Amino acid sequence: MSEIERIEKAERLGRSRSRVFFVMAIVFFVGQIPYFSNPGATGDAPFRIGAWLILAMLMLLLIATGGFLLRGRKVLDLLNDETSRTNQLASQAVGFWAAMIAALSLYVAAMFKTVSLNAAVHIIVTAGVGSALLSFATRERRAHRIG
Amino acid sequence: MLINRLREARVAKGWTQAELAAQVGVSRKTINTVENRVFTPSTTLAIKLATALGLSVEQLFWIDR
Repeated sequence: MSEIERIEKAERLGRSRSRVFFVMAIVFFVGQIPYFSNPGATGDAPFRIGAWLILAMLMLLLIATGGFLLRGRKVLDLLNDETSRTNQLASQAVGFWAAMIAALSLYVAAMFKTVSLNAAVHIIVTAGVGSALLSFATRERRAHRIG
Repeated sequence: MLINRLREARVAKGWTQAELAAQVGVSRKTINTVENRVFTPSTTLAIKLATALGLSVEQLFWIDR
């Protein structure tokens, strides 16, 4: 594969990645609505929590690596070049701040209402991971659209 | 603010964004965002771009005061 073909492949993969990450982040956030709208439901709780946990870990890996599922070292290097790495770091910072704001909000909320440890972790991780992935996808989409 | 004349220099060479990207080993998106002043490149990338285009870094990038 020539260098130009690799550039074109990285371009296509980059656009697809930003779209997939964007949809994943939205699905992740929307998927929490049933959990929080009916927190007392216990019937399918293990399944729901298990699905959330797997998705959260998957998304965490995606944010950390920029797409660990993709193959081809040279194309992957192009895909995760300087711009993407900068976007990745900025998005991780967004995730950190979202998690901190969620944690501090829960701390205040816990003064008035009991918040279980599971619910607190769920909210903090959802805020941190979801916002980081959404931020990365948005930054990448914007970078692809310019010009 | 960091200003550049990357687009002019690239067009003068008759290269596409993808061709310049291939010369310096980055994605077309990175060339595009640098040209549009959305992204400030690292020193390493600035030197690579200047070398590929046969210019000095100062000829390619400067700070608008």
